[in-house]
Amino acid sequence: MVEILIDEDACVGCGSCVDDCPNDVYKMNEEKWKTEVVNVDDCMACLSCHEICPAQAMTHKNIHVAKRLYIDRRVNHVLERII
Amino acid sequence: MIEDVRGTFKPELIPKESGGNIDDYEDALHVLMKFMGSMSSALEQVSGRGANAIVYQAGKRMGHDAAKMMEKTDNLEQALDEMGEVLGTEFYYEKWKPAGQEGYTIEKGDETVIKLLFMDCVVRQTLRRTGLPQKGPLCYLLYGYMVGAVEEVMSIKGKVDIDHVGPNACLKTLTIKWGGK
Repeated sequence: MVEILIDEDACVGCGSCVDDCPNDVYKMNEEKWKTEVVNVDDCMACLSCHEICPAQAMTHKNIHVAKRLYIDRRVNHVLERII
Repeated sequence: MIEDVRGTFKPELIPKESGGNIDDYEDALHVLMKFMGSMSSALEQVSGRGANAIVYQAGKRMGHDAAKMMEKTDNLEQALDEMGEVLGTEFYYEKWKPAGQEGYTIEKGDETVIKLLFMDCVVRQTLRRTGLPQKGPLCYLLYGYMVGAVEEVMSIKGKVDIDHVGPNACLKTLTIKWGGK
């Protein structure tokens, strides 16, 4: 089963994930003004929320992670040497 | 440094191996991804929305060809399981439904609707490799492929609509029309 963790310290309360999620997995907590997970059973792990979140405040656990064939290992190798 | 590989070639021999190592395959994959991305973007530039129809038709033809050897069935879920094997791990998908829904299929008059979650997809990888947006002409290749394969296996008309795209999975709706041969 999918588990979604929200880093409340990182979440800026922009609500982008709430608007973007097609399955209404998230809801804005109006007291804290932070995102909260309300419907984890409908999460299909598309990870649109990860892409749209400006604070990278989410972690999805126990999901199918798609192959990343687009990664250029040589570029990564060069970057690792620089960073 | 590019190494010149030298050997003997006889026309009557069928090579047992393709040769090279994993890095060669990776390089070839990346070059093909760049070609595909470039072709898709150029096609869109020249043909506008007509690009979708062209790529869709190409995918549909591929789907018909791929499914020719598959066992014919009237059972949609069985057909999808078989098609999953034909599409292989590069287009790994599963049937999907919201938690509150009982079965995967929904009957709407003479149509049956099912949602498919594409988790691994070479098209998505290609788009990300080349910095192109999803839902573009290249995505229509997979729509065509699915429709072609369903039509071939079930001998009925089908269509695929996109519900949502994401970096890790895309949700699509497959609709088949009974009696629409």
